[in-house]
Order: sequence, then C-alpha cells, then structure tokens
Amino acid sequence: MRIADWAADDGYRIFADEPTGLVYSPPAIFYPLLTTRYSLLLPPMTGTLNLLIGLSMGLNLMALGSSRIPSLIRAMSVQGVVLGIMPLLMEHHIVWPVALVALATVAVKGAIIPRLLQRAMRAANIDRDMEPLIGFIPSLLLGAGGTIVAMALARSLPLLPEHAGSLLVPGALASVLTGFVLLIGRTKAISQVCGYLILENGIYLFGLLLIHATPLLVEAGILLDLTVGVFVIGIIVDHIQRAFDSLDTSKLTVLRE
Amino acid sequence: MIVGPLLSVAALALVAGMVGGLRRPRLWLALTLVASAALLAAAGVVLCGAAGFAGAPRAELSDVTSAQWLLGDRWEWRGEFRIGGERPHMLLDAVSALFLALLAVLGGAGAAYSHGYWSDADHPESAGAGRLWWSAMVLMMGLVLVSANGLYFLFGWELFTLAAYFLVTLGNHRRQVRAAGWLYLAASHVGTLCLFAFFVLLAERTGSWELGPFLRGHAGLAPLFWLALAGFGVKAGMFPLHVWLPSAHANAPSHVSAMLSGMALKLGIYGLVRFSGWLPLPAQAGWVVIGLGALGALFGIAFAFAQNDLKRLLAYCSVENIGVILIGLGAAVLAVTHGDAPWGRLALAGALLHVWNHGLFKALLFLGAGSVHHATGTRELSRLGGLWRKMPWTAGLFALGAVAVAGLPPLNGFVSEWLVYLGLFDAGVARGPVAWAAMPVAIVLGMAGALALASFAKAGALVFCGAPRTQRAAHAHESGAWMLGPMTALAGLCVAIGLAPALLWPVLARVAAAWNPAWAVGVEAPAPLGTLGGVHVALALLALAAAAGLWRRALNNGLRRGLTWDCGYAVPTGRMQYTGGSFAGLVAGWFAWLLQTERSLHRPRGLMPERAHRVERIPETVLERLIGPVAALVLRASSAVRRLQQGRLQSYILYLVAGLAALGLMVFLGGTP
Amino acid sequence: MLTLLDFILRLALWLVLAPLLPGLINKVKAWVAGRRGPPVLQLYYDLARLWRKSVVLSTLASPGFILAPAVAWVALVGAALLLPLGPAGTALGFRGDVLLMIYLLALARFCTVWAALETGSAFEGMGSVREVSYAVLTEAAIIAAVLSLCVNTGGLSLGAILAPSAGAGAALLAGGLFTVLLAENCRVPFDDPNTHLELTMVHEAMILDHSGPPLAAILHGASVKLMLFSVLLVQAVVPLGDLAPLAAYGALAGGVLVVVVGVGLVESLLARFAFRQVPFLLTLAFLLCLFALLVAWKGGAA
Repeated sequence: MRIADWAADDGYRIFADEPTGLVYSPPAIFYPLLTTRYSLLLPPMTGTLNLLIGLSMGLNLMALGSSRIPSLIRAMSVQGVVLGIMPLLMEHHIVWPVALVALATVAVKGAIIPRLLQRAMRAANIDRDMEPLIGFIPSLLLGAGGTIVAMALARSLPLLPEHAGSLLVPGALASVLTGFVLLIGRTKAISQVCGYLILENGIYLFGLLLIHATPLLVEAGILLDLTVGVFVIGIIVDHIQRAFDSLDTSKLTVLRE
Repeated sequence: MIVGPLLSVAALALVAGMVGGLRRPRLWLALTLVASAALLAAAGVVLCGAAGFAGAPRAELSDVTSAQWLLGDRWEWRGEFRIGGERPHMLLDAVSALFLALLAVLGGAGAAYSHGYWSDADHPESAGAGRLWWSAMVLMMGLVLVSANGLYFLFGWELFTLAAYFLVTLGNHRRQVRAAGWLYLAASHVGTLCLFAFFVLLAERTGSWELGPFLRGHAGLAPLFWLALAGFGVKAGMFPLHVWLPSAHANAPSHVSAMLSGMALKLGIYGLVRFSGWLPLPAQAGWVVIGLGALGALFGIAFAFAQNDLKRLLAYCSVENIGVILIGLGAAVLAVTHGDAPWGRLALAGALLHVWNHGLFKALLFLGAGSVHHATGTRELSRLGGLWRKMPWTAGLFALGAVAVAGLPPLNGFVSEWLVYLGLFDAGVARGPVAWAAMPVAIVLGMAGALALASFAKAGALVFCGAPRTQRAAHAHESGAWMLGPMTALAGLCVAIGLAPALLWPVLARVAAAWNPAWAVGVEAPAPLGTLGGVHVALALLALAAAAGLWRRALNNGLRRGLTWDCGYAVPTGRMQYTGGSFAGLVAGWFAWLLQTERSLHRPRGLMPERAHRVERIPETVLERLIGPVAALVLRASSAVRRLQQGRLQSYILYLVAGLAALGLMVFLGGTP
Repeated sequence: MLTLLDFILRLALWLVLAPLLPGLINKVKAWVAGRRGPPVLQLYYDLARLWRKSVVLSTLASPGFILAPAVAWVALVGAALLLPLGPAGTALGFRGDVLLMIYLLALARFCTVWAALETGSAFEGMGSVREVSYAVLTEAAIIAAVLSLCVNTGGLSLGAILAPSAGAGAALLAGGLFTVLLAENCRVPFDDPNTHLELTMVHEAMILDHSGPPLAAILHGASVKLMLFSVLLVQAVVPLGDLAPLAAYGALAGGVLVVVVGVGLVESLLARFAFRQVPFLLTLAFLLCLFALLVAWKGGAA
C-alpha cells in the first residue's frame, strides 16, 4: 500500500512515482476547454454568431464548475472577449463607433478587469479555493437546466423576425442566470464580483439586440462604470482582508463601528 | 360464451374456500387453485379473442377484420334484478382481462406459497384467518376488475382494501405490524374518499352509476380525472402518495407482500388505465402523469438503494416500477391528446406489459425474501449473507428475479422497459411538443435503470453471497417444495416472456385497442419483438454454453479452494464485508437532500474501547418530513377546538347564549345572518 | 450462408482484434514516458497463459463466481456484434437495438459486480460500489448521446443513427462520449489500470480474486468493451457514410487508433482524479451529451 494512493483517495492530489507518471493535472475544466476549442475549428451550426454564443454558454458552465478563483476569472474574461467581438460580426459594414466600442469592451473585459481582480487577489493573499454554498455539481446542473429552459423560453418571446433564429436571447438569459447562481452560491467576495460581471455580460448580450438603438455614450458609460466598480472593489477587498483577516462574505454579516 | 360460467366457477370456489378453508388447508388450496385456473381461463378467452377470429391465420386477415379482431371479444352481463338499488353490470374486456390474468397467477402462486410459509403448524392462531381473507381479497379484486357499475366498483374496492388490511396485520403481535396496518388503512381511506367523490360526481353528472366507454362523450367530466388520479394514485403507490407502501409491504407476511405489490398496486394502475380510457381527459393529464412517473421512478429507486431492510428495499422498488408504468401510461395519454400518435401505442404496450412483468418478478422476489425471513428470522441485510450454501434454489431464483427487475436482457423486465423506451424515443424523434417531456424522461429512466441494477446487485449479493454475517444466517435452511414451487413457476413465466415476447404482442395490441379504439390498426407489431425474442434466445443459449464451457475448462485445469485473498488478510470474517449502508453510501451522498439519512455515531474511545456503534436510519422522508408536520399542525388545531368541549353543561349554555348574542348583534348592526 | 459467413467474420474480427487495443495504449504510454514498454501483443500472451492455468476459488464463492464472467463475456460480445462496422453495416439491425446494446453492457456490469461480491472481500465490495454508482451518471450520458444521434437522424437503430453530421454537435458528442469511454472502461482519470492498489481501483478491485480461465474471460471482455466504445465513438462523430468503402474502413480503423492514442495520452498526462471529483467529471460528460442533444434539436428545427 502506498501512501500516495491513500492520500489520493482523501482528495489530495499527489504525484504518482510511476515511470508513466504524471504531471499535475488541470481540474475538470480541461474537457469543455478542449471541446469548445475544437468546435471553433469546425463549420458553424447556424452562423458564427450562434457558435460564439454557444461558446459563451459553455463558458458559463465552466464558471459554474470551476473550483478555483483564477479559473473563474479566466472564464469570465474569455466570455467578455467573445462577447466583445460579436458586434463586429453583426454588422455587414463596420462603422467606426461600433468598432471602437467592441475594441474597448475586449480590452476592458479581457485584460483590464481580470488584471485588476488578479492584483486584488494577490494583494489580499486570498486562498484560491472556493467554498461554495451551492455545490459545484448542483450549480452546474442549475446552469445547464437554466440554459435549456432559456432556449425553450426564447421561442415563445415576441422577438423581431431577424432575431428569431439566433441564440442571443437564450444566451443572454443563461448568462444572467449564471451570474445569479454565482452571486447566491459563492462566499468569496472576488467570486461574487465574477458573478456580477457574468451577469453584466448577459445584460450586454441583451443590449446587442438593440445595437442600432443604443447610443454609443451609454455603452461607453457602462464600460467605465464597470471598470471603476471593479477597481474600487479591488481596493475594498484589500481593506477588508486587512481589517478582518478574511474575505468570506458570510462572516461579514455583523456590522460594528 | 364460456366466460360467464368460468367466472361463476371461480367466484363459487373462492366463496367455498372462505367457508370451508378455515379448518381445512388442503381443501382451501385446491379450491383457490381451481378458482385461479378458472380466472386465468376466462381472462385468456377474452385476451386471445377465442370467438371467430383467432382461428384464422393472421396473414389472411384484411385490415378491417384485423381491426375487428383487435377490438375483439368482451364479455358483458347485466342482471335482471337489483341489489342495493342498482342492477349488476359486469364487463370483462381486454383491459380488465389483462389484470385478471395477473390476479389469477398471483392468487394461485401466493396461495400455494402460504401453504408452506404461513402453515397451521407455524401460525395456529392466524393461518385460518389468513386463508379466509386471502380468498376474500382475491374475490373482491376480481369484482373490482369486472364491475362496470360505480357502486359495485366502490363496494369491491372497499372490501378488498379491508381484506388486505387484515392480511397485512396477520402477525399482529408485533407493534410495527399494527402500525403499518393502521397507516395502510388510513392512507387507503384517503384514497377511497377521493374515489367516493369521483364516483358520486360521475353519477351525478351522467345520471347513472353505469360505467363504460360512453363516458368519453360527456365533455364536462374531464376535471374528474384529477380525483381519479389522486384516489387510484394512493393505491398504486404513486410518488409522493406512496407513504403507506414501504411499511405495509415490509411488515406483511411475504405472500401478502407479493400480492400487495404484484396486484393491489396494479389495481390502482387498473383504475388509472380504465378511466383514462373511458373519461375525456384534461389537456394537462398526460404531462402530470408522465412527470409523476418520472419522479417516482428516480426517487423510488434512490430510496430503494439506500434501504437496509430487504423487504423495504423491494417495496421502494415497487414505487420505481409503478413510476415506469406511469411513464408509459402518461406517454400514451399525451399521444391521445396529440392526435393519436402511434408512439403512444408502443409506450402503452410497454406499460401494460410492465404491469405483468412487475407483478411476476416482484412477487418472485417477495416470496424469495419471505423464504429468507422464514429461514433466518431477519430481513436486515447486515445480518444476512452467504445464504447460497444453505438455500441454493432460493438463491438462484432470487438472482433470476434480480436480473429481471433490473431490466436486463434476456428476461422480461427488459422487454417492457424497451417498449416504453421506444415509445419515448419515437416521441423525441417526432419533434413535437411532447419531445420536451419524452427526452428528459428517457434519461431519467436510464438513470433509474442503472440504480435498479445497483439496488439488486446489493440486495441479491449481500443476502446470498459472501460469508454469513450472523449465526442465524449461518444456520439457515432451504424452504420446502410448497414455497419453491410457486417461485419456480413465477421465474419460468419471467423467462418465457423474456424469450418469446412476440407471442404477447396480439394481447397487448388488443388491450391497447380496447383502451383507445383509434389504435386498432393491424396486428403487426410496430416494434421488432420477434427479432428481439430471437436475440434473447440466442443470448441465453450462448450464455449457457459459455458458462458450461468455462466451468469445464476450470475443472479440467484444476480447481483449488482457498480463503478469499482480501489482499493478504489472514482471517477474513463475515463482519468485514461491505454492508448495505456502505454499499449505498456513495449514491446516498448524492441523494442526501432527499434521503435525509439520520446517523448516530459512537466512536470507540480509549485504549480498551468497550462500546462503539454507528447506526444509520433512512427516514420515510415524505411521511416524516412532509405529511407528519402537517398532520401535527392539524392535530394541534383540532385539539385546540376540542378544548371547547369539556362536558360541563354550564359551558354549553354559555356557548348558546354567546351564539345568540352574536346573532342578535348581527341583526342589530344590519347584516344578514 | 452469406449471412452466416458475415457473422463469423465479424465475430472473429471482434474477438481477435480487441486485445490489441490495451497493448497499443500501453505502447503509447511507454513512448510518452520514454520507455520501451511491453510488446503490443502482451495481452494475447497473458490470455493464452491464463487459459491454461488452474483456478483458485474462494471458499465462500458459489459456482456463480465462475459462471458470471462467462455471461458477462457473452453479453459484451453480443453488444459488440450489434454495432455496425462502417460500410459493412450491421449484422442484425432492428429498431431499438441501440437500447439492447446499452442494456447488454449493463448485464455485463451486473455479472461482474455479482461475481465480485461472491468473495465477501471488502475491497471487491469497494470496487463494486464505485462501478455501480458511477454507472448511474454514465448511463444518463449515454442515453442523452444516443438520443442526440436519434434526433439528428430520425432513426432508432444503430445502423441508422450512426450517420453523424459534422459541427458543434459532433464536437460536443465527441467530448462527452470520450469521457464516458474513459469512465466505462475504467481508465485514467477515473481509475488507473496500472496501480494494483485495492483502495484506489474500480475494475481491477472487482476482479482481485479471479484467476485462470475466468480471469481470461474477464480481461478479454474488458478489451472487447474498450473496442466497442472506440468504434461507437468514431462512428458517432466521423461521417463515414460520405466516404468510399475502402476509405471508410481506413477511416474507421484510423479513428479507433486515434481514440486509443488519445486514451494513452490522457493516461500519460493526467493523474487519476480523487474519487470526490469523479461525479463532477461525469456530470460534465452528461452535460456535453445533453448539449449535443440540444444542438441536434436546434439543428433540425432551424
């Protein structure tokens, strides 16, 4: 009997000393990552747009299933990027304000916000594992069920004919739902921020329905708000960590002077 | 027509058995077997369509005659006299004949089994009563099946419930048995209450107590289906109305458990099949039935897997199988409300065949559990083990039943589940709105199937394999011929249905046609049952050949006996084996929210630990967590009201005065009392 | 006559080729680790040796201990024979044979578990529990996968439904079925066929007490099962029907080879997961198959 195997059974991942043996394995996220990347290489099902939305749905599930904060942040930011380039694909000829907004979105959601969050995490020296209130499997099932229900629901909504075949609405609903599940089911402040950002991604998807009607200024304003919000939260997280030595929001229920 | 005389013979034999069987067990057994044979013959005549069409080769039947052939025979009789103000009206059509055939088989098998199991020598005080109530129950179940008059139906229903109560409480010196009996009686009467309302409203709206396909014409009757669903659902053990079922099945004598599970539950199903065929249906009926069926299938088997009491495990597994039947029935109802889609016929045929199959293999398993209990005096999985050495025949028959109930080929359980699956898959492929129900339900059915496999690997192997866990298990003894005989017969039927399912298709088609005349469309099976049967036969033969070959090879190579290796542990004992709780632990964790397992753990302490124990109890979640609190609330409210009534005259006069004063005040203030 | 010949050829193909696959996997693993590794034909040698060996039977075991592996082997080979082989189609295709295949695999599982519990060994009990419990989740995944194939093609028999369309659905299905393959065949990251540590195994733990010809039947059956899942996966994902017959056979063989190499690579690059994480991974496989079903549904509707 080897100690390593005993330990592995108790949930510790220990390197086997066999010659075949093994490098550290990424957690379960390996699989969806593999397949969603694969699906990018294949011809799209009903257009690139739907493929991208499908990808963002997969990223939702990844966010729900990831047990570590860095992978949660990664899922959230990749989703931001995917959604960011979507306006470019929706237009037949790209006008510069749309391109600008898309570029800004990609930059903010894909680079700036994750960087801010990672910095906050490092500064506050947060334990990278999450302790969920809703377990990972139940949240995965919730998210998947929600996605399917959103698909069924979107059929009965009175949509414009040009949006009828697209996954925009179900994708948006799924992201919003995922955001809510994360906000409800996670305790760490940073994971809740990620939940909020995924929720915002969903709202952004809804906004794409109205891409011609929304003034550029509103989009830009939302983006700015987000960035500032995350920036501020990063600072607050740091302060909370210093003051209470913990970032578990369930411990922040008592207010004192 | 021969059906009438046959039924009369059966009824007479049963009544004679009630009268003459109290003291003479052999006479009673003979009479009961005669009644069973007569019932089986009557059902067979109707199911095989003996009059006219059966002789004609099937190929020569034109479409029209084959439709007639399918709609087939029915036996109907109206009395010229009145009893209780109503003229008796009996009807035996294909639907009721299907259930009657099962009643005949189980009634006979259970009676023969009880001859060895609940004999006068072992139970001098209750064996006679057991025989009396057994005959009464079979008679009343038969009455329910053939009556086409609401009043007679209710009469038979109530009396069969009572007879079953007395049978459940045969061993009433034990407290759990009495409690289980009361629970059964109370729950049954809640169901009967719904049925009273159902039949009374039916009679009120149609103007007579008569029942029949003509009810479909009254469009206003549709809402009554919900009452029928509740009333029959309680009896059928439909989740979440199954609360009476586990304890009643576990504590009844085993031949009674077999009958309860094999037949009494099926009478609930009979009611649902009957009235979903005769009544106009509300639009949501199919969705609700298939949903409840899926819930029952998954949760029932999850509960079953977690049980540590052999008979309780079997009882919860009945909840699962009723779920499977309801899934088929629900799909059929959905098909009817969506334009008589052909897949509904497949699902219904699967559900109907599952009625038979579940009756057969569950009765077999309960009888096997009875033999185990008889031989060891316990039903606890953690006190059994290694029984195959002492009870090889029981072990083999139980293993066969376990394979059948897990829905594995080549036995009968697979055939009916396969038909239900085909119906669901067809509905999914058809892409209608029903697909949204059919596809998730198919997945749930798959999970339930895997859990059923797990449950019966656990039940069979923990009882019969490995080392005995207690002295009692080590000193078991094989049952006698009276107990093994009926089990062998039931096992033979399981094998026969598994190997030759195509022979049963005409019967199923006929029942489906009787249920929904729009499905009287040719006798050709829409599913390749013949091919499946052929594959099953080939598999069975190959398996036998391979087993024989491997056995010979092992013998030729030399066969040594040694201790179980157990990774080098020198003295393995029976207590080191996996128990029921540890076997179910992993899955019980996934269903912890449902099972709510209660644990009490006393760890060993100190250098010389004296006492240590770990006890797990799986509560009846629905009963204890849902119905119990509500009932307690109702009780508290009613006891508060009761405080008003203390028997003192002065207080009553005070109430009178207060009431009068209140009335006066109302008049004074100008309201209308 | 021709049908009989066809049948015998198929049987021979399955029986003879199946033990090659574990050898190939081991070769891939050895290659990744930079070892020479056992010969590709090692399993054949093992089987031949076991077939000649005598049997040690536990004092607790009933004859079922030897009969169950035989039944399991028949069930596995029967399930394999139901599968179509590229352009050759099925030997015996009928509506609903896919469900028969799934349930034959279940029958094999039942027999293996029963035989394991015959010995009364706690370790074999442990393996059995894992086997039957994980099967609940893989069963859901397989049914969802089959449903997606059925909805995609409108058929209900293995010969008809294994005509996939390329696209996102196929990618999702490939991911889901590959994970199911790993789980059902007890490969890394669900189980490690190389460790002989009783506490950490699933399949190997169940067969600890088997020896001689019954063990040979079990090992051969396991290799047939591995080949069954590989062939199923390839045909469910790669549209072989669009190719010329010879090319299709080549693609089928190549696909199986790719799957085998994939298993070997996964085994080399990943460690076995803690048992706590297995349900999570299986849920993921189920969700992949479920979304493949959704894509199939959407694809037909649009």
